[in-house]
Order: sequence, then C-alpha cells, then structure tokens
Amino acid sequence: MEWLGISYRAIGPELVLAVTGVLVMLLEAFSPGKKRRDGILAAAGTILAGVVALTLWDEGPRLAFSRMIIVDGFRVFFTLVILLGTLLTIFISWTFLDEERIPPGEYFALLLFGAVGMTLLVASNDLVMVFLALETITIATYVLAGYRREDLRSMESALKYFILGAFSSAFLVYGIALVYGATRTTNLAEMARLVSGSLGRAEVVLLMAGVAMLLIGFGFKVATVPFHVWTPDVYEGAPTPVTAFLSTAPKAAGFAAFLRVFSLTFAPLGIESVADQLAAHWVAVVTAMSILSMTFGNFIAIAQTNIKRMLAYSSIAHAGYVLIGVLARDWAAVAFYLLVYTIMNLGCFAIVALWARRGDERVLIVDYAGLGFRQPMLSFPLAIFLVSLAGFPGTAGFIAKFWLFKSAWGAGFPELVLIGVLNTVVSVYYYLYVVIVMFFREPREEVARVPLSRAFVATLVVTVVGVFYLGLLPTRVFAILNAAQSLLAVGMR
Amino acid sequence: MGEHLLSWLTFAPTAGALLLLVARVLLAAREEAIRRLALAVSLVPLGLCGSMLVKFDPAASGPQLVERAPWIRFFGFNVDYFVGVDGVSLWLVVLSALLVPVSILISWRAIERHVLEFHVFLLLLETGVIGVFVALDMFLFFIFWEVMLVPMYFLIGIWGYERRIYAAVKFIIYTMVGSALMLAAIISLYYLNGGTTFDILAITENVRAGRLVWDAQTERWLFWGFALAFLIKVPLFPFHTWLPDAHVEAPTAGSVILAGILLKMGGYGLLRFNLPLFPRATEEFAGVLGALAVISIIYGALVSLVQPDLKKLIAYSSVSHMGFVVLGIMARTEMGMQGAIFQMLSHGIATSALFMIAGILSERRHTRLIAEFGGLAHPMPVFSALFGILALASAALPTLSGFVGEFLVLVGTYTSELAQGRVYTVLAATAMILSAAYMLWTLERVLFGEITREENRQLPDVNARERLALVPMAALVILMGVLPNPILRRTDHAVLELQRAASRTILVQRAHPAPPDRGRLAPPGAEVLERR
Repeated sequence: MEWLGISYRAIGPELVLAVTGVLVMLLEAFSPGKKRRDGILAAAGTILAGVVALTLWDEGPRLAFSRMIIVDGFRVFFTLVILLGTLLTIFISWTFLDEERIPPGEYFALLLFGAVGMTLLVASNDLVMVFLALETITIATYVLAGYRREDLRSMESALKYFILGAFSSAFLVYGIALVYGATRTTNLAEMARLVSGSLGRAEVVLLMAGVAMLLIGFGFKVATVPFHVWTPDVYEGAPTPVTAFLSTAPKAAGFAAFLRVFSLTFAPLGIESVADQLAAHWVAVVTAMSILSMTFGNFIAIAQTNIKRMLAYSSIAHAGYVLIGVLARDWAAVAFYLLVYTIMNLGCFAIVALWARRGDERVLIVDYAGLGFRQPMLSFPLAIFLVSLAGFPGTAGFIAKFWLFKSAWGAGFPELVLIGVLNTVVSVYYYLYVVIVMFFREPREEVARVPLSRAFVATLVVTVVGVFYLGLLPTRVFAILNAAQSLLAVGMR
Repeated sequence: MGEHLLSWLTFAPTAGALLLLVARVLLAAREEAIRRLALAVSLVPLGLCGSMLVKFDPAASGPQLVERAPWIRFFGFNVDYFVGVDGVSLWLVVLSALLVPVSILISWRAIERHVLEFHVFLLLLETGVIGVFVALDMFLFFIFWEVMLVPMYFLIGIWGYERRIYAAVKFIIYTMVGSALMLAAIISLYYLNGGTTFDILAITENVRAGRLVWDAQTERWLFWGFALAFLIKVPLFPFHTWLPDAHVEAPTAGSVILAGILLKMGGYGLLRFNLPLFPRATEEFAGVLGALAVISIIYGALVSLVQPDLKKLIAYSSVSHMGFVVLGIMARTEMGMQGAIFQMLSHGIATSALFMIAGILSERRHTRLIAEFGGLAHPMPVFSALFGILALASAALPTLSGFVGEFLVLVGTYTSELAQGRVYTVLAATAMILSAAYMLWTLERVLFGEITREENRQLPDVNARERLALVPMAALVILMGVLPNPILRRTDHAVLELQRAASRTILVQRAHPAPPDRGRLAPPGAEVLERR
C-alpha cells in the first residue's frame, strides 16, 4: 500500500468543510443575520467537499499523515453519504431558522464542523484519530442539540447528550489506552497484523478488556441497546432539523468506524489467532446488541405518542439492523443501508420539522390527524418515507434490508435474519399508525396549511426520488459500491 | 406491443393511475371525468387479456409470452425482470383484469370522497395483483406480493365502514407475518440453490431433476415458510380471522378485489411454490392441510348459517369455498388441481358479484342486516334474478360455475392418495348441502315473502350501470357452468406437468435419499438415476 506523507489532498474534503465553516462564522461576525448568504455558502461548501472527495475515488488504497488517514473507496462513499446528510440538513433548517430567530451563521458553521468530524472519522486508520474525530463531532452536536436556549426540553437534551457523551468518550479513551497497552500501537493496520498472530497471555487479557470498553463506547455513539437510553430524550428535545442530522450523518460515520475497528481489525480469520479469540466474544456481544436493539426499539416505538420519540426508537431499531451487517462483515451492505437510511429518515424529519412549527408545537402523532388530504404535498411523501422505513418492497428500505438479511444468512446468522424479519412486521404497526392518523382520521381542529419553502421542496424531491430510485433501480449504485469494494485497502478486505 | 404484452398488461394500470393524476393536476378534471377516465383505462388490460388468450397455446409446456431482462446486479443480486404466463396463472390474470373495471362501475355512486385517490389506489392494486401472477422471479414475485398490500390498506382504511382502521391494521399485520417468513424462506432457498439466481423455474427444474436436494428437516422449514404466507392469504382455518373483518369493513370495491383476486394469490402460491419445490414435505403435510381445508369448508358454512349480516355471511362463505381450493391442491390429482383452479375462478366471479349485491343493498338502505330486508323480489325484480343466479352459483348448483369446481375437487380428492381422502370427500360433500342451505335461506329472507319494512317498498331496481357490472358476471357463471372446457383445456397442460413433477421428484428422492448435510448441489450421477 502506498504511503503518502503529509498530503493535503488526502484530507481535501475535510479542509474544504473546515474552511467554509470558518468563512461562514467570520461573515456572521462582520455582517450578521444574512441567512440566505450563509446557507448558500454552507451548501456550496458541502457540495465542493463532495466534488473533492470524488477526486480521491481513483486514488486507490493509500495512507497519509503517518498512516493515520486512509484513502479508499469506502471512505469516499461514506463521506458522500455524510455530505448528503449535511446538505439536506442545511435545506431542512431553512424555515426553522426564521421561525426560531436563530443567528444563521453559527448554526451553519457548527453543522459544517460536525461534518468535518464525521468525514475524518470515516477516514481514520488510527484509534487516536478515531477519538479526535468523535470529539469533534460531539462538541459541535452538543451545542446544536441545545440550540433553542430558552426551551427547557432543548436544554435537557443538550445536557443529557453532553453528560452521556462524555461518559461514553471516557469508555472509549480508556479502551484505546488498554488496547495500546496490549499491542503498543494505536494504528489499525498494524493492530490487525499483530492480532492475526499470537500474543502473550497478559496482553490478550488486556486486549479483551480494551475491546470491551471500545464496544461500549461505540455502542453509545451509534445508540444501540443497552446504551441507547439517551437517544429518545435527546432526539425529542433537540430542534427537529438537528434531530434529523443527529439520527443520520453521525450514525453513518459511527458505523463506518465500528466496521473499521471490529469487522476489519478484529475480524475472525478462522485460524488460532488472537483475532479469533477476540471475535468469539465480540461477535456474541454484538449479536446480543443487535437483537436487543431491534426488539426493544420496535416494541417501545409502538407505545410512543410523540413522533420524534417514535423516530428515535425507530432509529435504535435500525441501528440493530445495521449491526446485522456488521456481523456479516459486509461493508457494502452496511454502506448502502446507511445511505438509504439517511435519505428516508431525513425526508421524514424534513416533514416533521416543517409541521412541528415554532417551538415544536405539533410533534404529537395525533397532531397529524387529517393531514392526509389537507396537504398531500406533506402527507404522501411522509407516507412514502414511513413505508420505506418499514421496508416495503418498491422502496429503498426494502432493498437495503433485503441485502442485510441476505448477507447475514450467507454469513451463517439465520437466527438473526428470522428475528430481523419478524421485527419488520412489528415496525409496520407503528409506521403505518402515523399513516392511519394522517389519512383515516379527521383533524381535531381546523388547521391552516403550512407554506412550503423552495429549500423544503428541493429536499422532498431529492429524498422521494432517492427512495424510489434506490428501491427500483439500485444497480448503478451497486456498481459504484462494487468498485469501492475492490478499492478497499489491501489487507483490510 | 406484441413483444411486451405481459409488461403492458401489468403496467398499463400504473400508467393509467399517472394519467389520472395528470388529468387532475393539469386539466383540473372533475370527479365524473375521473371516474370515466379510470373506467376507460381499466378496460385496456382487459383488452390486452383478449390478445393474451389468443396467443396462448394450450398445448405448449412451460411459461409463455416470456419476457426477461436483467434488473438488479452485483453482490449476489441476480434479479431478473422475468414474467410469463402458464396454465396456472393465465385465467387468474384475466380474472384480475376483469374485476377492476367492474369494481369501478360498482363504486360510481358509493365513493364520493377523494374520488381521484380511490381510483389511483385501485389501479395500483391492479398492477400489484397482475404482477404477482405473471412474475417468474422470486424477488419480483415478492415485490408485487407486498406492493399490493399498501393500496389495499388505503382502500379499506379510507373508504371503509365504521371499524375500518381495526380491519385495515389486522389485514396488513396478518399478511406481513406470513410474508416475513416467506422472505426468510426465499433467502434460504436462494443460498441452497447456490446463491446465483431467484429464477423460480430454474430452481424448480433443479429440484425436479434431483440436482438440488436437501434433508427432510430443511424441506419442512422451507415448506412452512412459504405455506404459511399462502394459507393466511387463502385463508385457511385457523388463519382466517382477518378475513371477515377486512371484508365487512372494506368498501364494495375492496371486497370485490379481496374476494376475487387477493385470496387467489394464496392458492396460486401453493401451486407455484409448495407443490413443485417441496414434494416430500407436501406429501407429509397434505393430510394435515387437507383436514384443515375440510374444517374450513364446514366451519365457514356453519358460521354462514347464523350470520345476521349479509356481508359477513358472504365473507364466511368465502372461507368455506376457498377450503375446496386447498383441498383440491392437496389432493394433487389432475382432477383435484383442475378443480382447485376452476373453483378459484368461479369463486372469484360469484363471490365478488355477491359482494356487489350486498353493496347495492347497503347503498340503498344503509344497512347490511338480512332481517332489514324481505320481499325485495317485488320492487326489485332484475336485482332478485341476478342475486338468485349468483347465490346458486356460489352454492354449487349444477350447470352453474361453482358446481364444476367443487365437483372436480371432490372427485379429485376421492381418487387421490391422501390417506383420509374418502373421509374428506364425504365431509366436504356434506358441507355442500350446508352451503345450499344458507344460500337458499338467505335468498328467502331477502327476496321472498311479505315486505316487512315500509322503506323497502320503494327501493329502485338496479340501474343501467349496475346491470352493466352484474349481468356479465351472472352470464359468466352460467357460461362457466355449462361450458367449462375452454377454461379447463388451457389449464390442463400445466396441471399435468405439476402432477408429474411432484410424483417424479418423490420417486427420484426416494431412490436417492438426500445426504445428511444441508442442501447442496448433487453430483451429476443423480440425473442418471432419474432417467433410469
């Protein structure tokens, strides 16, 4: 594998995002309150970062910055997923910023800094880099979660997110320290080489403890049971566009890192190596996490009356599905799932954010009564996203789930597949409950139609088209992923 | 169009639905115009069916009018867009194309709210059901199988009666449980076959030729994975409880499609998947399923006897009549399977038409209680004649369609190798008496005797539009009863193939028992055994 030293090209997308973020902040300082200008600049920066990421596509597997940064097809793919999530979040926030009278500059800048952390996370090839990237993400998102300063729910959300985030970071850093103690390296490629052989008994014990800590840390970050308790409160209290962001882009980044650390570095090799000893344990634990996340997430979602909380539990359930892909060690399936989830969940939240209005007035599911025929521009897309989240064929959600289940069956996890498909039946109940309320019930009171901004319509078009395109004609995206798979760093496949 | 007849047939309704939306958005079409346009659009697939029937060769084996193109590739997704019809699916496609225009006609006045959306959902539903019958790729089949749930859910939930939400949710959850297990079975079948294709015919051929073998336990799991989905759909006792709710709460058009087409997807699935793919498990469980079928037949008839609600009565009679379908399939004789297919068609027409009859009554009187009527023969003579013919067809009076199907099933069961085949035949034949009893009694209570309610004295007879919907149905049940051959001749070849495939595979697998390891591709020697 080719090593690049200090190569600014290798962190091109991150540089573009960071520079745009600083620029937006500076502009805000000198001439505040120009939402249109700041928003367009932030969106342009995100798109430019995407273009720069695409130029890295053919670079093949390379390492840069003392092997801390990796350049490969999957990094580029995940980066694009994250940037798509960021771009759509910028659009979703358009109306929200006006309603809440929030200074737009800082808000967009924080989104961009969060995105820098996420893209760095998917590019990390070193546990120290993983930690730094995660902290960059969380610092930006703590502030975003508490953005409605005068609202108690938002403050509670930010505080909970901060305390539990710090707590999980502590686990993560402690895990990294123990792993370092056992292997004397934080570099993932080096570590993969070491664990494919044998280590002393003391080192193995230390490594086990370290990996367990890492698992807890990651479990918190991607919100899987039993480390999920913060999710519903944070998602409920955070401003809805921020919730949309939190539930998609950081999750994609977190799972990418999860894959790099567990599915690649500590992957079982089928020989008597340390990695196999480790895998015997983490596979069992992750299996349990996956089953618990799917089952708890779906069953508790049924009982929710607040749509944001319902979507929070649904995101826990989806994290459980994604863990199936992690166990099957199918990168491409996980990447596709997260792309699809980002699109359908952001579409969902776009509508929830618009309908919620100032101060999250209308976030109960009963508030959607009668929306169906009153404003079909909102209700039909929302129905499509919900049906896709439930995994109905014809939509992207189905192809993504089918792929995960198929891989898992092929990788020898038929019981996970059975639990997974039965869980989708449970999820149909609560997703379609919203549809029932929208279409089959009469509104409680006369409600005015909500005006639709151009940014919102653009978001809807992108997400609805995305859901159907990936659901009916996924071959092209599959081909891209196939190419990415062949570009995956050698020795890490 | 000749090249892609089945694709046109499948997607013409979708195109029609888009046309309706365009008409509303761009031309601001009014409701009456939307109804007319929907009717016109729904006649297109029916016309294409005529062309399909002309092109269909009854003597050819395998699927006809085949279209195949690669659809999804990479990562083990070797999914083809692969469609075709054979004797099993041919008439079910025709039935689907027939019942949609009829549903539109019958809903003309009944649907007043959200007319555009109603017709859009109805047309999308048509694409889904035709797709199920023509799909020859498991993945494609599953997509159509699930896609059609969503419009049906909306049809029940938006335009249904009082307890529509409960009924819609129950319908979708029941079906989803079945299809989730079927999905797992499809994935597992895909890997057992080597993980290269979802092609139903190729997998069936591998099973038939003994190239794809698995141990008995795997076969049982796979059998039930598919069978449960289909038995819930049929529905067979004890999986039938969603049906009365869905039927009673659905609008008339919804009931027509449910009874006429959706239930048939269950019988079709058993014939397409379970029989040819899992012959040993079918043999093992045929007795149990036959017994459940007989229970359905008797139970449905007994419950129908005591129903005060006309729609519920017809719903339970469906459980009874569909029991014959499962019984005929499980008999696995030529007569039995022919009878099952014929019974599906006959039930599809007669029972849907009875739901339209019930719809006409409840539209006029806003009640479905049988006790509210009586003596309708006087104010509504044409209606009464039609009701009489259809009810008797449903009760299997000779010379009407129901008789042909049920008679074939009974003979097929009697002559089958089912252990208790003769007992089943006797019990099922008894139920035919029950079905005559409840139907005749219903006719008596609704049509004959004195007029007991003043409101009924002035009820208008069926109008021209209702006649246009009902008369062809009545004509068809008579025609099918007198001249069943044009239908049977076209299903015969496929049925014989099914029967041969099932029995031959059993012979091959008995001579060459599967090794203990879970499914694998057998060595070439297995084929030699089969030829010998």
